[in-house]
Amino acid sequence: MMISRKPHVIGKPFPLIEAQKKLTGVTCYAGDETITPDMLHARILFSQRPSARFRLDNLDAARHFPGVAALLTGQDLATRMGQTIRDRELLAVERVYFAGQPLAVIAAETPEIADEALALIQVTYEDLPAVLDIEQALTPGGPQVHPDFDDYPGADALNADPQQNIAHSLTFTRGDIEQGFAEADVILERSYTAAHLQHAPMETHGGVAQRQPDGSLTMWMHLQAPFLQRKIIAQALHMDPAQIRIITGCVGGSFGGKVFVSVEGALAAIALQTEGRPVRLLLTREEEFAGTFTAPAMRAHVKMGATRDGRITAIEATYDWDVGASVDAALFHLQAVALAGTGPYAIPNATIRSRAIYTNLLPSAPLRGLGIAQVHWAIEQHVAELAEMLNMNPITMRQWNLVKGGDRLFPNFTMHANGLQTCGLQVIDAINWRPAAPAHSYHAPPGAAPKKRIGQGMAIGWSPIILSDQCGSSVSIRIDKDNLCDIIVDGVDIGQGLYAFVTQLASFELNIPVEWITVEPTDTANYPPDWEATYHNLLWSTGHALLKATAKMKRQILTYLAKVWKEPISNMDIVDGEIISYASRRRFPLLDLLENGAGEETSPPVFSVTATYRPPNAGGSIDSLLQSFAATAYAAEVQVDEKTGGVTILKLAAAADVGHALNPESVKAQIKGGMIQSVSFTLLEEMIFENGVPRSNNFRDYPIATTADMPQQLHPIVVEVPQQSGPYGARDLSHHVQVGAAPAIANAIYRAVGVRIRDLPITAQRIYDAMQAKRAEEA
Amino acid sequence: MKHEIQLIVNGETRSLTVESQQTLLEALREDLGLTGVKHGCSTGECGACSVLLNGEVVNSCMVLAVEAADAEILTAEGLATDEGLHPLQKSFIDHHGVQCGYCASGMLISAKALLNRTSRPHEEEIREALVGNLCRCGAYADIIKSIQVASRARR
Amino acid sequence: MKAFDYIRPKSLEEAVGHLTQGKRVNILGGGVTLFLQIQNNELTPDVILDVKALPGFHDIRYHHHHGLKLGAAVNLQHLATGLEIRRHYPLLNQTAQELASPQIRNRATIGGTLAWASPVSELVAPMLCYDAVCHTWSPRGTRTIPVSELYLGDFKTALEPDELITHIHLPSFPARTYGVYQRQTIRHDGRRMIAGAATLAIHKHHTLTNWRIAVLGVDDRPKRVPEAEALLEGAPAEADIARALEAVQENIHPQDVVYARSDYRRAVLNALLQRSIHDIISNLQDS
Repeated sequence: MMISRKPHVIGKPFPLIEAQKKLTGVTCYAGDETITPDMLHARILFSQRPSARFRLDNLDAARHFPGVAALLTGQDLATRMGQTIRDRELLAVERVYFAGQPLAVIAAETPEIADEALALIQVTYEDLPAVLDIEQALTPGGPQVHPDFDDYPGADALNADPQQNIAHSLTFTRGDIEQGFAEADVILERSYTAAHLQHAPMETHGGVAQRQPDGSLTMWMHLQAPFLQRKIIAQALHMDPAQIRIITGCVGGSFGGKVFVSVEGALAAIALQTEGRPVRLLLTREEEFAGTFTAPAMRAHVKMGATRDGRITAIEATYDWDVGASVDAALFHLQAVALAGTGPYAIPNATIRSRAIYTNLLPSAPLRGLGIAQVHWAIEQHVAELAEMLNMNPITMRQWNLVKGGDRLFPNFTMHANGLQTCGLQVIDAINWRPAAPAHSYHAPPGAAPKKRIGQGMAIGWSPIILSDQCGSSVSIRIDKDNLCDIIVDGVDIGQGLYAFVTQLASFELNIPVEWITVEPTDTANYPPDWEATYHNLLWSTGHALLKATAKMKRQILTYLAKVWKEPISNMDIVDGEIISYASRRRFPLLDLLENGAGEETSPPVFSVTATYRPPNAGGSIDSLLQSFAATAYAAEVQVDEKTGGVTILKLAAAADVGHALNPESVKAQIKGGMIQSVSFTLLEEMIFENGVPRSNNFRDYPIATTADMPQQLHPIVVEVPQQSGPYGARDLSHHVQVGAAPAIANAIYRAVGVRIRDLPITAQRIYDAMQAKRAEEA
Repeated sequence: MKHEIQLIVNGETRSLTVESQQTLLEALREDLGLTGVKHGCSTGECGACSVLLNGEVVNSCMVLAVEAADAEILTAEGLATDEGLHPLQKSFIDHHGVQCGYCASGMLISAKALLNRTSRPHEEEIREALVGNLCRCGAYADIIKSIQVASRARR
Repeated sequence: MKAFDYIRPKSLEEAVGHLTQGKRVNILGGGVTLFLQIQNNELTPDVILDVKALPGFHDIRYHHHHGLKLGAAVNLQHLATGLEIRRHYPLLNQTAQELASPQIRNRATIGGTLAWASPVSELVAPMLCYDAVCHTWSPRGTRTIPVSELYLGDFKTALEPDELITHIHLPSFPARTYGVYQRQTIRHDGRRMIAGAATLAIHKHHTLTNWRIAVLGVDDRPKRVPEAEALLEGAPAEADIARALEAVQENIHPQDVVYARSDYRRAVLNALLQRSIHDIISNLQDS
């Protein structure tokens, strides 16, 4: 008898399991849910001022408006919410801290009635001084965003200076910074900025909530982190998390914007007031922009020293983040920045500060890239400029200083084998790098027809994978005759292909056909009330939990038949959906077993296992939670209009080290997506506030990349330096594809027209201004 | 003001009563339950609500339902037949033309409009045809590839 | 959107009734901007008057001598694809192809786009170059308004509140007419215009005559710059071009917007026009 193992599905193309539903219009997004025909509709009244005392009048008229079922204001429900620090109110009570803050929530028969009733409420503001940017926030004696900061639950956990509007500050030091600069032959100091960005998922925030007869609450909310959100909402509403059930489904994009709680708290609160009638909330696009989250703006100052032969001896960098009026959602971002703040270089003397600054702007949430993209915006231009000062090839300079396997970077972390070099070399190869092309000097004769100039640039980057306390994952598998193989995971498929990964891995490990497997959308009811599942690094956490679960499941099935066959399970295996014995050469189709049982046991068996993965160093110091650094590199070839500064990206290459590409096409799809998104962040996107009020509230005023903005050529490159402890040697891919595009493009622009842009986004006008300044200087 | 209208949606005549101000998007989603038509912006900027109206692609959020009276409408739900998925749908699955998927039904409709006009479009033509459909995941390259492969398979 | 009545008259006589009842009436062409204005409560109509069923509003007629008649409800997609447009009005065709998206082009009508009067309305630039004339109708009768006189600045037009554009007329142009449309926008699909320009000239006896320059985004309305056009007549030398570009700069009044300063808009327009003029001249040299 020939026993063949089924072709290795790991590392082979595998279609996305969720795609068919999404392409045929089957209900799967939160806004598609209709729980009962008499569903109510919620609308929220948002603050129009960044900092003010306020009063709401005429509430009774709104409350008794025909068709209104319930109305809540901060006076009815004075409560705060947050994961680490509860620095925001569910509904504003007496004063507002940012424009876009929910003031009241209403439920009515139709959205139109809800809007009409809300319009009856008179809002009177008494403006207070507002803090509108980092500069102003840090000015001594200026207004304080949160005068009552010290009273907020969780305030003790932060390293804050509320008088200075510093919400939290992290510092990493290595070596002797003074000594490092003393050893340097050249020292370069520069400031860099990056604008507020928007997550701008195509699906706006929304969902349905319903109070159950037992007083509990069910929410159909398609979120990236249902367990975290359940916990935050329960705490704010003084409920036991067990009383809140969140059922997820397809998520129409999150990018970090659907991890923390913004308007979901108001929906939960109002649904408790409608006598069991379900309430649906769907934000308009304008509300999505102006009433949820933004990604923090950065102001960085970098000082770097190097010896004449190109060795970087010291770096002192401060990354200040404008986190708006709430820091709670941005804390993880700060950690990542502090760990990655040197860029991918082994610099013996370093001081890195990562600080969150409060302003009276929309609160921040982490955006894909976690601020690491902005860190490299600074570092990778800085290194290029330093190399030029030293008359060195910037690639050589990078190679000499790159972090290497074995480098002890932090007391509890030693660098592993990595793909930094490979990524860097592969991207420059992909765009046909022309070495040593001198930076362009502008001296076109006046009157000559304007030219378009070409330049190339590159950047290397790294991105930390941090296994924090919340990075656990749990997987349940049930195999029976009705559902065949049903898998419940606690992570949510937000488009990254999680369910395809789970299916692929389970099919391989259990050696059963893919068609038998169904992955169920996450339902918090399947987990204990205190369960905190990860919402990122899913390949790692869910992957490990799944490996454990499939091993347990296989043992359970084999044990069942081993009793009948009276053979040790060590002789047995599952091959292609059949249970076999290598010793006795017996075989038993699993489907038959599920249908009829075996031996004397004739009732159909049900196999069920649960396995949990917990991060190894939970509760430890930040550097001990650091699991690895993911390597990436970008190279760009751009064409710049020397008259107008208009930029066209001719070629863009991105390489990402994923350890082992389990589903290569899916990995490439993620890389390409990250490239397009990065181009959009780099050239187009900027959230504009006018006196603290968001003004980029639609896709006209906040343009994101279309097909017309795509680079002419895209070169996605998969690099595989195995991650020893990862599932099959793989590592997560998400944040690190965002790292490096902006500085690579900026470096290319510099090569094309000889000017450096240090403020994101790179607009044509900024290039034009820099060229004008350079012209004036040369004249 | 109420209007009794008929729409021929995915080949089927549907009668409904709509208010003047009701958009085609609202009528399709809320009254006819065609939730494959997505709400993205209500301002004609994102293309998530794209449908074919008498064979031409439009944003259904920017059309009044009453304006579409007696018109033929195709939504993503109407692409598959009893024989299975439309070649475009198959190709989007095989070539990773879907990430979060929220833009997917609108993308399919724009692609269908293009292929109705041009059976073997060039990459540049596909890019132009999709310029009104935003994808925040940035899956454009794979969407374009999916459409290209599907157009070749149809021959 | 707030409630309104929807009327789709089948004749102008029927339309009159609705226009003279003292109600707030807004005209619906493709609705591309109308619905936005209603959503934002900038407009609160009692009645929406859909002109798409009015007779003649979808007419497209070309005559080699009389030129082109375009009904007001003809959509922009037709301008981007129509054979008669491509053949006889290539500048209009080229501009239309770059307008917004297929979804918008399939809905937006010529009449609605012209009546919207945006300073960055791209369709207007070629219309200005081709000497387009609006034919209008109101309860008081019909009249004609050249597109060059339609705009009063800041989104205002010479149209009376109860006046409809019924059709547009473009005179015929010789076969050897060259036109170029150039724009610079933040997003490459045309969103957030910094500046745009349509330039056109007729090739006659080895010279270029009848120059037209229409500019966008650099004044309170789209407009021609006759002061510059005159300087290019004949076979312009580099010095003439430089003087014409100066004349353009002297006759525009760009505004600062959140994404572009006025001085930058000037610089961009200058570069676009410089390229466009050179393009047309090199076309002449090639032919």
